[in-house]
Amino acid sequence: MKPGAPRAGAPKLAAGAFLSGAKGRLLPASLPFRFFGAAIAFHLLAWVALFFGADAFPRFQGGLGWTLAALHLITLGTLAMTAIGASLQLLPVATRQPVGSPRSIALLWWAYTPGVAVLVLGMGFAQTRLLAAGALLVVAALLGYALLLARNLVGARGMHGVVAHGWGALASLLVALASALALAGAYVGWPLLGRGSALSLHVVFAAYGFMGLLALGLAYILVPMFALSPAPPETRVRSSAALAIAALALAGLASFDVAPLALRIAALAAAAAAIALHLRSMTVALATGLRRALGRSFTLVRIAWALLVASLLLALGLVIELSLPGLPALFGLLLIAGWLLGLLLGFLQRILPFLASMHAGAGRRLPPTPSSLTADRPLSIHFGCHFAALALLTLGILVDSPLLARLGAVAGFVGASAYAWFFALLLHRTWGAGSAAPRAAPNAPSADAPSPNPPP
Amino acid sequence: MPSALPPEGGSPATRCWHETDGAHIDVRGLPPPEPLVAILSLVREMASGATPVIVHHDRDPQLLYPELAELGWTAERIDGDPGEVRLRLRPAE
Repeated sequence: MKPGAPRAGAPKLAAGAFLSGAKGRLLPASLPFRFFGAAIAFHLLAWVALFFGADAFPRFQGGLGWTLAALHLITLGTLAMTAIGASLQLLPVATRQPVGSPRSIALLWWAYTPGVAVLVLGMGFAQTRLLAAGALLVVAALLGYALLLARNLVGARGMHGVVAHGWGALASLLVALASALALAGAYVGWPLLGRGSALSLHVVFAAYGFMGLLALGLAYILVPMFALSPAPPETRVRSSAALAIAALALAGLASFDVAPLALRIAALAAAAAAIALHLRSMTVALATGLRRALGRSFTLVRIAWALLVASLLLALGLVIELSLPGLPALFGLLLIAGWLLGLLLGFLQRILPFLASMHAGAGRRLPPTPSSLTADRPLSIHFGCHFAALALLTLGILVDSPLLARLGAVAGFVGASAYAWFFALLLHRTWGAGSAAPRAAPNAPSADAPSPNPPP
Repeated sequence: MPSALPPEGGSPATRCWHETDGAHIDVRGLPPPEPLVAILSLVREMASGATPVIVHHDRDPQLLYPELAELGWTAERIDGDPGEVRLRLRPAE
């Protein structure tokens, strides 16, 4: 047949109908969407937990209770949950490698989600057996995820800088899990490592290492995709990855009291250089893309990037033992809720309509457009409430006021409810648009099962 | 035979040319998201007319379809060389 002629037996298809054929190379929608849905539910619960833990929040430095539970509802329940869903869907774009079978990913969710719930209940109620049981489930699930991630990264083709971030995140996850087990073990009478070392390793490798490197790496795919700009220069991406990994290694060594002050300052300098390179790539992508107006979602993202820089300044304050009451809590707030949560919620409000549109084409002449699936009003409410919560919590720390912290939790809860409203509307519109995929049976393979071919 | 034209708004590695059946763009071998950016640049250039865009790709460009839908364009798969994914893009009727 002459090249350029329609394929034999292939009727003319609209983009959406053609997508239904291409859809076979995506994960079934029920898989990423269940991770995103759980993340949004845990986000809501985190603010409830913080409301009850508000008394301890302004001077929080660790210890069982609802503040710790709120922290882990955000880190494990919201951030890691979303990162798992997003990376399993998006990393194949960079690596051109398929991820694991839908069944293994569904199993991962079924271990991880109840594991997080049990773990945070154990933390909140100070029930160490519950905590240990939840920790074991979470560790097992995250090890399963690490295996899927490693398999995906081995033999990856192209985008070496993104892949380097993936390997760094994977190594950090292992350190974060080992230190988490050491911390949980101490609560049940099996101390594996000094609490100071374990805590330092856990904070650095869980937040900046696992979550941070995944966020930086996925941003190299997502930001040019959203802005429709060329990929950042590979040398800059690799340099940023190398500096970030060096920073983590230095901070890790410092956790074992090896020249802690000098190594931590060196780590912060390397991290600052890594972030400068990363932000340079991001700002160039945003300034040169075909799509300049990225709306409220990218205001959230830009503020999150600013708060990442602020978190490094506060980390420096902690390293030099700056005398500022509440500094550890403020550092944690800007790092977790300011940078990571803000970045994630900003990206997610663009990813979700896009993915939903990709999955919603089956049986339709035209797929619903991403813009028709999103919902501006709930996102506008979330935007205001998210920053109101951050401001109230910051003030609560600065003036040591549990009342302000509690008000911050209420603002955060209203914002999280609005975000859940946005997600519910999106599912409703997607389902109404003809996609059965979000409702697919948990382990359903067949038509939606990914083919060996990765997406572009 | 298609004649290679200077790239217009796409990556330097993108090849664009015109034939009787439309404007062709070859994005094979480009890393993501450059195929997406190059194709959408060309579609935007063609948006005012009815000239189809013929895409020569090495994989199904899944991320393209929501963007095409936003622009009111459709895609159909047509026969191409072995190992190639060839698409004809045109405004939705």
